Amino acid sequence: MLPISSEARGRMQRTVEQIEKDLLQPIFKSSVKYKIAVSLSAALVLAGASAFGYQLYNGIGVWGINSPVFWAFDITNFVFWIGISHAGTLISAILRLCNATWRRPVTRCAEAITVFSIIIGGLVPLCHVGRPWLAFWMIPYPNQRGIWPNFRSPLAWDFFAISTYLTGSTIFLFLPTVPDFAAVRDASKGLRKRIYSMLSLGWQGTPRQWQRLEVAMHIMAIVIVPVAVSVHTIVSWDFSMTLVPMWHSTIFGPYFVIGAIFSGIAALILAMALLRHFLHLEAYLTPLHFNNLGKLLLTTSLLWFYFTFAERLTTWYGNAPPEMDVFWTSIRQSFSPLFWTMVICNFVIPVPILSIKRFRTITGTAIASCAIIVGMWLERFLIIVPALDHKFLRYAWGTYRPTWVEDTLMASSFGMMALLYLLFSKAVPMISIWEMKVGLQPHGGGIITTAPATKPHGLVLEGPLPTDVPE
Amino acid sequence: MNIIYGLYANPEAAQRAVDALRAAGSHLKFDERQIVIISGEPHEGYDFADSHLTTRPYRWAVLGGCIGALSGYLLTTLSQKGYPIHTGGMPVTPLWTNGIVIYELTMLGAILTTFIVLLRGARLPSFKSTVKDPEIWLGKILVGVAEPAEAARPELEKCLLLAGATEVKLSSG
Amino acid sequence: MSHKWGLVVDLDRCTGCQACVVACRAENNIPTAGPDQSARGRTMQWIRVERTWEGDFPNPKIRFQPVMCQQCDEAPCEPVCPTYASYHTEEGLNGQAYNRCIGTRFCANACPYTVRTFNFYNPSWDMPLNLQLNPDVSVRSVGIMEKCTFCVQRIKSAEIQAEAEKRDLKDGEFTTACAQSCASKALVFGDLNDPNSEVSRLSASNRSTRLLGELGTRPNVTYLERGTWQDAKNS
Repeated sequence: MLPISSEARGRMQRTVEQIEKDLLQPIFKSSVKYKIAVSLSAALVLAGASAFGYQLYNGIGVWGINSPVFWAFDITNFVFWIGISHAGTLISAILRLCNATWRRPVTRCAEAITVFSIIIGGLVPLCHVGRPWLAFWMIPYPNQRGIWPNFRSPLAWDFFAISTYLTGSTIFLFLPTVPDFAAVRDASKGLRKRIYSMLSLGWQGTPRQWQRLEVAMHIMAIVIVPVAVSVHTIVSWDFSMTLVPMWHSTIFGPYFVIGAIFSGIAALILAMALLRHFLHLEAYLTPLHFNNLGKLLLTTSLLWFYFTFAERLTTWYGNAPPEMDVFWTSIRQSFSPLFWTMVICNFVIPVPILSIKRFRTITGTAIASCAIIVGMWLERFLIIVPALDHKFLRYAWGTYRPTWVEDTLMASSFGMMALLYLLFSKAVPMISIWEMKVGLQPHGGGIITTAPATKPHGLVLEGPLPTDVPE
Repeated sequence: MNIIYGLYANPEAAQRAVDALRAAGSHLKFDERQIVIISGEPHEGYDFADSHLTTRPYRWAVLGGCIGALSGYLLTTLSQKGYPIHTGGMPVTPLWTNGIVIYELTMLGAILTTFIVLLRGARLPSFKSTVKDPEIWLGKILVGVAEPAEAARPELEKCLLLAGATEVKLSSG
Repeated sequence: MSHKWGLVVDLDRCTGCQACVVACRAENNIPTAGPDQSARGRTMQWIRVERTWEGDFPNPKIRFQPVMCQQCDEAPCEPVCPTYASYHTEEGLNGQAYNRCIGTRFCANACPYTVRTFNFYNPSWDMPLNLQLNPDVSVRSVGIMEKCTFCVQRIKSAEIQAEAEKRDLKDGEFTTACAQSCASKALVFGDLNDPNSEVSRLSASNRSTRLLGELGTRPNVTYLERGTWQDAKNS
């Protein structure tokens, strides 16, 4: 191995201690701002729960849906949250497989977003059905009533896809957290120590355990990527498997997956910016990370634009009357303000910010991400509602307006995400401590491609640690 | 358990200690299996960390996937043939749509198998009392011998110090 | 002999009186949505009369088209229901099992004709309107999808009667509520598998067309019309 000067080793030693201290601190201390944030999110969640209770009691008529717009805010939120969940998969799994070492501080934030947004997204189908108390009929369980799920239905596929993805993501989040739980365990006393002992499953840190953990993470990364792609493809097939004009499109699978990765990265950047500020993680979530994620965001923004353009161009060129009715309602008529807002938020604002290096800073990427979150929510809405509004028979066309119940439920979904994330940041180190330490190792924890030296090279490793943006 | 161990500031020193302990094993009457190595992060590329390399988890994952695929097939095909649901002209066991469910269950099988194999391979969860030294989390590597013979202790201490331990400790319980 | 139920709608005879709509509501216990709910697009009707017109009084060109569930042979609403609530019966009907419906509303989105009606609220009938409810038809509760069933209760009742009397069903022995109430006999119901039935004869007419036939849903409702617009003077 390359010999390191004792000075450098001393600096590394201090940094390892510093990592331990910085990343464990939020678990043991919480500020007033944290408590306020938790209270606000909890209030939003309670509001949503009450709205849902009101809906259960009175019937789904308290929403704004009607004939023919039978799905609106509910499915918009469903697709939106499942889309956001693709953040963790891309960052954790794909970058892990590509050995992109800059991903290390970002993985756990991303994986946490994934798990919580799948939970929120998965709750929506259970709550939006007309008889939610019977939603369990989508589970294939043996019964005496002759009830069985129809495996031909995209909703049945949704059930399996989302369950698999949730299980996989939870395991993917939990596994690398085990050593960090052990670190918390060893730093705490009393009840906290007992809880974290259980959570860490008695982790010690023997080479056998580390070896097995790394192999398991590698396998999980390989498996979770196709699962994520399949999940959002299946969600998109909720639409494209029907004959509804401008829904029955073969592009929906890839379109939705790209849109999901797009919105997921935006959500991740926002979460990272907030964590960085409130948990004082400036040394760990550096401009480099935002720069790299910004480049990924730019790529997906361009891809999103490409898919949207391809879909709209082929529709317009084909000029089939049912499709053109839906097309014009989005581009020129009642939905056009929303449509053009969406294009501005998803493309016009982010692309200049993200392509010019001077603007691709933490603030710049955070602004772009806010715009993208709004734009992607609008995109889901504009896929669902205009098409349902303008189906084949003109006499049956309709309109849609949300009610306060739907608005509350939507706000409450954001509140639930914030609440789960805040509680998570209190219980679990938001940055993977052991992976950060691996990053400090001489070969940075990457693949060793050089043979060990046979004699000292005579150089002394000094200089600033590579946390600044390279020129 | 009783462990006599030394803390090492870097993996090279830890490797020297492990080598020294392996060499001294027969002389000081302890087995290779009694050598304990604990660290707060993985150290790939070093012999002491890599000696447990195995490719079997991949095979288990593939096996888990096959089991998942089989259960998916049984769930969709057998249940659809068995239940007296009137599908009214739709094919009873359409391959492509069942295939989607089978695919998801395949992946679920691979995921769960990987998880279970990890737990078993890493011997988790384990609640027996072991050595816990907070220095591990600050970058030190712990190398020691569990349940050493009483007479061999001073020799072991010398051996560990010679290899470059920053300190040598004895832990019991 | 197995039956295959079909309906013929003669658009050249339809006057747009909506007696069929009222009769269907009475026969099938369809709740009234009320003016507020109707304004929000939640009118509950299993059959609707679509009006299209061109020009002004005194010579507008008007076209009335009753649209009900087309009982498609290749129904797009059937594969998408996760609980098999929408299914195909052996007699060619698209059945709706109310008890199985959990209200995902996927079928309503998939239906190109928008003929499915959803119960957004629990229906209620003020006294004494509840006494008018048809005991042969179940009352659906909130969250359940419903649609035209070709008055399956009448079909079943006639079949049971015929079987008890050990005879075949005769054409015209019974009919659906809408066909029964149509003053101009624009709606004709019967067995398409019976070559001698009125419905079979009319379906084979050279005026016959299928609504949105190009989608491949193969509906069992046939529309007869000579052309798109009919002057009052032409027959």
